This record gives sequence, C-alpha cells and structure tokens, in this order.
Amino acid sequence: MTKSFAVTGFLKDYYIYLVLIVLVALLASANLDQFPLFERGNFLYKRNIINILRVSAPILVICGAFTLLMVSGYIDLSVGSAMSLSAVVYAMLALNGVPFLPAFALTVLVGVLLGAINGFLVVRMRITPVIATLITLSLYKGIALLLVEDGTSAIKSGGGLKMPGWFNSYGRSGALLDLPASVWVAIAVTLALIVIQKRGVLGKYAAATGGNPTAAKLSGIKTGRVVFGLYVLVGISAALAGIARSSFMSLGDPLSGDGMELTAILVVLLGGTAFSGGEGKVQRSFIGALIIMCLTIGMLTIVPAYTQTLVIGAALLLAAATNHLVSRKGGRK
Amino acid sequence: MASSTQIPALEIDELTRDYPGVRAVDAVSFAIEPGTVHCLVGENGAGKSTLVKMITGALAPSAGSMRVNGKTHNPTNPQEARDNGIATLFQELHVVDELTVRENLTLGLEAKRFGFLIRSDLDDRVVKTLAAIEPSIDPAVRVSSLSVAQKQIVEIARAASSGASVIIMDEPTAALSEREVERLFEVIRRLKDNGVTVIYISHKLEEIFTLGDIVTVLRDGKHIATKPLVKVEGRPELIEMMIGRTVAHNYVPRPNPPGDVVLTARGLTNHLLKNVSFDIRKGEIVGFYGLVGAGKTEIARAIFAADSYDGEIIFKSQPVGHTPKDALAAGIALVPEERRTQGLFTAMSIRENIPVMNLPRMSKGGVFRADKEERAAHEFVSRLRIATDSIEKQTEKLSGGNQQKVVLAKCLFSQAELLLLDEPTRGVDVGAKTEIYDIIKSLADQDNTVAIFSSELEEVLGICDRIFLLYDGQLRAGIRNGDNVDTAQILDLVTGGSMQEDAA
Repeated sequence: MTKSFAVTGFLKDYYIYLVLIVLVALLASANLDQFPLFERGNFLYKRNIINILRVSAPILVICGAFTLLMVSGYIDLSVGSAMSLSAVVYAMLALNGVPFLPAFALTVLVGVLLGAINGFLVVRMRITPVIATLITLSLYKGIALLLVEDGTSAIKSGGGLKMPGWFNSYGRSGALLDLPASVWVAIAVTLALIVIQKRGVLGKYAAATGGNPTAAKLSGIKTGRVVFGLYVLVGISAALAGIARSSFMSLGDPLSGDGMELTAILVVLLGGTAFSGGEGKVQRSFIGALIIMCLTIGMLTIVPAYTQTLVIGAALLLAAATNHLVSRKGGRK
Repeated sequence: MASSTQIPALEIDELTRDYPGVRAVDAVSFAIEPGTVHCLVGENGAGKSTLVKMITGALAPSAGSMRVNGKTHNPTNPQEARDNGIATLFQELHVVDELTVRENLTLGLEAKRFGFLIRSDLDDRVVKTLAAIEPSIDPAVRVSSLSVAQKQIVEIARAASSGASVIIMDEPTAALSEREVERLFEVIRRLKDNGVTVIYISHKLEEIFTLGDIVTVLRDGKHIATKPLVKVEGRPELIEMMIGRTVAHNYVPRPNPPGDVVLTARGLTNHLLKNVSFDIRKGEIVGFYGLVGAGKTEIARAIFAADSYDGEIIFKSQPVGHTPKDALAAGIALVPEERRTQGLFTAMSIRENIPVMNLPRMSKGGVFRADKEERAAHEFVSRLRIATDSIEKQTEKLSGGNQQKVVLAKCLFSQAELLLLDEPTRGVDVGAKTEIYDIIKSLADQDNTVAIFSSELEEVLGICDRIFLLYDGQLRAGIRNGDNVDTAQILDLVTGGSMQEDAA
C-alpha cells in the first residue's frame, strides 16, 4: 500500500519529464530523411535543437510568470496581445534609430504598463480576470494594429528606413553555445522564477492567495498587491516574448502573439498546475512548453500542418487524463 | 480562577450594532477574565457572530467601546485586532492546503530580505509552539494531508505563536469526532494554563459544561447573563436562558409499532465498510452513530447508490440500482451533510428548490406548471414551518435550520419513502433542531422510514427507535432505544471497545 503510494507520488512529480524524454526519443528514432525542416534527417542534430529552441523562446519566457499567476488563481488572456504590441513597439523603435538597450528597456517598460493596466482592472476595479483581460486582449491588439500603418502588414524595413543589424541577431544568432540571446533570457527568467517560487516571498504568497485567499488575507497578506505584481510580471514576460518573436522574424507583426494565451494556458496545465490555483511549478511548465513545441514541430514531419491544433488538443487531453489517473486517490472504485 | 481585581482580558461596554431595520447587538456589556475559557451561547440570530465580528475588527460598532487588557480596542480591520492580541479560529478553516504546516504557521509573519524568505527564530518558535500543543503533527508535511482536526490545531498554534492573548473559537468542533474533540479540549486547557484567554462559541452544550469556566448568554441581541458555569444548574437552565423556554430532549417511544422490513443490507464492504449488515423496518427512525470516519456517510451513500460496494441492498424486495437516479426512482432520498453545497441550489428561491428532485410532477406534457409549484411551496413552508417572509426568498439567505427544512421539503416532494439524513442538524440552532426532530417524528408517524447518520449521541438518543453503532467501518451493535440505554457502553463501543451486545 505505502509502496504503490510512493510510486504514484513519484509519477505525479516527474511524469512530465518522462513525457518529454519519451517524446524526444520517439522523434529521435524516427527517420526524418525526407523532411527538409530537419537537417541530416536526425531530430537530435544540434541545428535542429537550436531551431526548436529559438522558435520556442516566446512561450519559454512567458510560461514561468504565467504559472505563478495561475497558481495565485488568476489568469491573463491578454498575454498574446501584449506580446504583439510589444513586438510592434520594439520594431518601431529599432526602425527609427533607437539603439538596442534603450529600445529593449522601453519595450519592457511597455510590458510593465500593460501588466499594470490588467492588475488595475482586476485588483482595483474588481473586474473578473477573464473579462478584464479579454477587454485588454482586444485593446492591446487594437493599438498594435493601429500602430502599423495602412497598407502594410507589419513594421519592417522599407520606405527609406532599414532595420539595424542587431535587431535580428538577438533572436537568431548564437550568443553562447550557439543559442541566441532570446533563449538565454528565457532560461534566465525561468531560473529566476524557480528560485522566487521556492524561496521568494512572492512565490509563497502566490500559493497562499490561490490556495485560500481568505486565509491569506487574514494572515495579513495584501493579496491585491501580490496579484498586481504577478500581472506586471506577466506583462514583462509578454514584452520579452514580443522582443524575441519580432527579432526572430525581423519585423514587428501586430498579429505575432495571436493564440499565445491559449498556448500559455495549455503549457501551464500540461505542467500540472491546477486551474483553480494553489498548486503548480514553474519548472514543470517550462518542460510542458518544450513538450508542446517538440510536438508542434515534430508533427510537421508526420501530419499536415493544419491538423496540428487538433493533435495538440488530443495530447493535452491525454496529459490531463494521465494526470487525473496518477493523482486520483485510491479507494473508491 | 482569576480574582475580580484583575484587569479583564477583554471588556465590552454598551456595545451596539445596528443593521437597517434590525439591532443585531443591543448595548451588550460584560468582561472576560484573563486565563479563562469564556463561552458565548445563544440561538442563531442572538447576535453572537455580530459581536465576534466587532471584536475581531470585521465590523464597526454603531455605539459602545471595548478594552483589551485595559487598553482601548477599536479595530478597523482584522489585522488591527490581531495586533492587539486577538486571534480568531473561524468555523471554516483558514489554512492553505498547498503549503506545509511550517509555511502556514509563519504565513504573513515571515522574515524576509530583498523579497526572499530567510530563516529566523520565528521558524523555531512556531515549531516549538506546535510541538507543545500537538507533538504528533510533522511541521514539514503539506497541510492537505492533515485531518480537519489537525488543521484546526495548526491554526490554533499559529494564533498562539503570534502572541495572541485572546483566541476566539467559533464552533471549533463542528467537523470533529468526539475523540478529536477531547484532543482539542486538551489543547485549549494547555492554552489556558499558559495564560491565554479563550472565547468559545458552540451549539453543543455538553462541550460548554465540560470546558467552560464562565458562560455569557445572548438572546435577540441582548445580554442575558454572564455567570460561572458551576453556578448554572444544568442544561435546562442554560437552554432556558438561551431560548426563554424549556425543551425536553428525552426519547419518547413512538406509539405505532414498526412495520415489515423495508430495507435489508447484507455484507456491505468497500474501501471503508467491513461486512456491514442490517435491516430497517417501515415507519422506523433508525440512527447510525459513530465518530467521524466510522462509516456513517459511506453507508448512506451506499444505500443511495452513490458509491459502489460489494454485498447487497434490497429495498422493498428489489435490489437498488447502481445510480442515485435508480435509488430516487425506488423512493430513497439522501439529504447530504454538506447541504449548502450538495443539497440546495442556494442561488434559487424556496419555490424553485422544492420540486427539483421530481420535476415531472410539476409539469404536464413537458410544460412547467408554475401554479403547482407555488402551491407546493406554500404547502411545505407552512407544513415544515419554514421561517420566511416569502416563498421567493433565495435559500442562501435562510438560516441553517430553515435551509435544512427546504432540503427536507425537496425530498418529501419527491415522494421518497426512505429518507437518509446525514448530520441533519449540523450548524442548526437549538430551537430549529427541535422543530426538525418534530418533522422527522411526524414523517415516521406517516409511515415514512427515516435513517439518521449522526455524530451527536444526544441526537440519536433523542429521536431514534433503534441505533446502530459504528466503529472503523464495522457495525458493532444495534440497540433499541429506551430507558435502559447505557451511554457509557455506547461510547465504549464506538471508540473501539470490545463489549458484546446483542443485535436488536
């Protein structure tokens, strides 16, 4: 009895890592010769892995903050629009001659502002999180579209203006171990958030707020501030995602973050975070993000692109079912 | 006991609170001596919770003043009350399941540097406090793995380690078994020995006589009395002070003899139950009595086909089906313990709640008959004496006792012949309790069969014709209620004693 209990406890904590390993092993053993997407016909070939990671940089940088927000029992549907708007702002700054660091800092500041607006609507105006961030989803995307001039679909070189060389390298060129800076930023942000969740006041208060808001309040925790701070954190991570995406694509696309909110929710749920709050781990969401990205890209070799969404949904269903079976308490038949 | 010259731990002076149209607390004055267990009793609506809310800073008084240890106490929020040394243990638990015991004990009080948690002597202090009052709880485990009683002790430890001089406990034993209650009482006595004052609120009068030093009685928002419990002459005097009339609690054998066997259970076994067999006769009121975890709810759920089991249950010579829907169709209804969450649509009115278990009876050719619904609602409101100004009242706004009556009305409307009542009077005040017992008795007199699943001995001894005693998933004995019932023997059996008893 106790032994099987320990085994299921182990499975519950680590099954997500097993899923990633199995998935990678499957992809590595597949014969990918016919697929130009994968060089040398081997999934584990270095350039293929680098490619996957740099395409994944946006979700990898978002998933950590998004996990903490969901652990606290809240949600941000505007994360994709905030990412798009940041991407557009960043591209505009670059195109108009602002150097890398100021452009980067200003864009992050935009992320702070967008997150703060969400936090204000939810905490101060007491609008239901889903509604509040659905409103800003529309607002942020609307502003992004407005910023892009008529007749063009994105902020890019042209009309006498040219993107500077550094614009592209942040998300594409190898900075260290052949991985671009965007991937390293995502890794650094995730590591920082893992530490914050484990040892930080914010991490504990997020769990308390999501686990039992009344208890948190009665313990003197200002849950409103915790939630506000987490929205700002998600805003910053959305800005970093926008920077990574626009840099990778060499343009500021006002639709580049479309659907990111769904991917983020999928990834966090896949990592075992409870939708009701209280539970969840940043590192597991990070693994969840890798799984989704491997699945998405790996699938291009097996199935047509238009079936991807369906297959991801099915994978999530499978993950949810596994999670349910593993975490279900024994006893009742 | 403290001498009268001591400064009171809490002094309440002419405290008043008005709601629109109601004076919930009316110029209440009394003093609480330090290091005592001071009980606060009164029916629902007597003003206890309003009073407590003012003491804890959740509500502002309309008039009057308070002093804690001689200093003015005028909290505008719970935090300020806690700063003044007043902690509260609420009926619902305020611990975070997802955190460990230690994390819960330090929640909101953490030592921090640059936004990170650092170790401090607080960690050792809270662990020591916990170990002093309940050494069996490991501070490193997650709170979700603890029992309700243990969670409560974690909350008490948190209050004690934060230096509270007064701890208010609002119905702390509502969800505890009798053994856990004894444990809690030990904890409370230890707190008292350390000079902590406990304000204890409970509907269970035995607890007050067992634990309390002094009792304050409130009725209709007014202060009735504050006196040492040794000077209170038993339950009748206390009840009389609370409700202004005397209530008899003794079992009176019901006139009509029980009919044929209507339900037979043979060898019920599942994750908790161990080979449980019994018969229930038509028109009987039977009680299933045992501590929390003894298997009462499990038996109710098995009869209602809400859980699966090995063994068989025969109702009116037919096996009960496999789903609650089958059980309902056969004429069995379950009133769950968690009536707010499982028994009522709290957002809907009394009128809308009553027919939900048997909607076909309300409709004709698929068309809903509003007039029928209204008539049924009026009938049940008067028959069960549901205290409300309108059948349109949202059930959320009713008192616990009246909510329970609405749930009963629902089951009666469904024309159930066997009613399974799980903890039918939990959280219900004394007056409404008596009314619910009267309803149960009159149902049995009309040939309905009632099974009560209760962890209150007084309750089963008060109304049940036969009582089945449960311990750890086993049916230990079935006894016929009457004058010769030996409560010591019953308590022995349900706590695992091995005394032999013939089945009734």
